[in-house]
Amino acid sequence: MKSGLLFFAQLFLLWAIYQVSSYIVSFFDLALPASVLGMILLYVLLSNGIVKLQYIEKAASFLLKHLSLFFVPFAVGLMDYGGLIQTSGLQLIAMIAGSTVIGLLITGGLTQFLSTKKTAKEKIHHEQPHSHFHSH
Amino acid sequence: MNNHTLIFTLISVVLTIIVYMGASKLSRVVRSPFTTPILTTTILMIAILQFSGISFDEYAPAKDWITSLLGPATVALGVPLYKNKDIIKEKLMPAALGLIIGTLATIVSAVWLSKAFHLSETIQAASAVKAVTTPVAIETVMIIGGDPTLAAAFVIASGIFGAVFAPAILTLVKISDPFSRGLSVGTVSHGIGTSQVMAEGPIQGAVSSVAMGTAAIITPVVLPLLYRFL
Repeated sequence: MKSGLLFFAQLFLLWAIYQVSSYIVSFFDLALPASVLGMILLYVLLSNGIVKLQYIEKAASFLLKHLSLFFVPFAVGLMDYGGLIQTSGLQLIAMIAGSTVIGLLITGGLTQFLSTKKTAKEKIHHEQPHSHFHSH
Repeated sequence: MNNHTLIFTLISVVLTIIVYMGASKLSRVVRSPFTTPILTTTILMIAILQFSGISFDEYAPAKDWITSLLGPATVALGVPLYKNKDIIKEKLMPAALGLIIGTLATIVSAVWLSKAFHLSETIQAASAVKAVTTPVAIETVMIIGGDPTLAAAFVIASGIFGAVFAPAILTLVKISDPFSRGLSVGTVSHGIGTSQVMAEGPIQGAVSSVAMGTAAIITPVVLPLLYRFL
C-alpha cells in the first residue's frame, strides 16, 4: 500500500514536470516538444540536487521499461494508410529503410571512429567492461 | 462520454496492454528483430481491429489514454541522461559531429530516394522529417509545405524500422561501442528506437535520448534552408 502510494507520488512528480514544460513551450512558442524540454528540465533538477533520484526512480524505471507501449497506439494509426501502401508501398519502404540505414551507419560509424581515435590518442580507457571493440 | 463508450475504451486499453505484455514475453523467449514488441503488438492490434471492424477513430479514446503517459515517460529519460552524464560530456565532440552529419545524411537521402522512386512532392517533403520525434516532425513539415498526417506516419514507420533492424545492422557492420550505438539509433529513429535500445543497456538508452532531443532541435533549424537545395 505504502509503496503503491509512493509510486503514484513519483508518477505525479514526473507528470508535473511535463505539465510545466508544456506550459513553457506554449508560453514562449518554442519549436521543441514539451516532453524533450521536460527531459532537459529533469536533468537540470537532478544535477542541482533539487530533485533527488530516489524521489522519482521507481516511477521513472517503470515508465522507461514500458516506453514502447506508449507508442503502440500511434503505430496502430498506420492502419489508415492501407491505400497508400497498396499504390506505392514498396517504394515507401525502400525510401524509409534506405534513408534510415544510411543515417544510422553514418552517425554510428563516424561517432565510433572519432571517439575510439580520441581514446587511443589520449590513452584513456573508460570502456564498458562488456563492450569489445573490433579492430578495423 | 457515455457508459457504452467508456466500457469500450476500457476494453481497448486493457486489450492493448495484454497484447503488449504477450509481445514482450515473446521477445524474451524468441530473440529476433521480428519479435520486437512494438512491431508484433502493432501488427496484432491492427489485425484485431480490422477483424472486428473497428476503425482507428473508434480506437482513438483508448489511444489518448495510453499515450497520456508518453509525456511523463519521455521526461523520465532525464534519469539515464543524468546517470550517464560523465560519458556524454567526455564524448561530446564526436557525438556532436556524428549527430549533425548523420541528421543531414538522413534528410538528404530520404528526399533523394523519394525523388529517385518518383514519389510525389508531398511525400518528398514528409520524408525529410521522418527521423525526428512526431510533434517536431509535424511542426517542421508544415514550414516546407508537406502533409502533417503523412509525416507522422513516416515518423512511426522509421521508428519501428529502427527499433526492429538497427541493433542487428549496427552489429553486422561492427559498430559495437555502446555510446555510438545509442547515438545513431536515437538520431534516426527517435523515441521508438530509444525504447528499444533502452533494453540493450543504460548507456545506449541515455545517449539515444540525448540524440533524439538534439535531432529534434537541429532539424527544424536546418531543414527550411536545406530543403530548397534538395
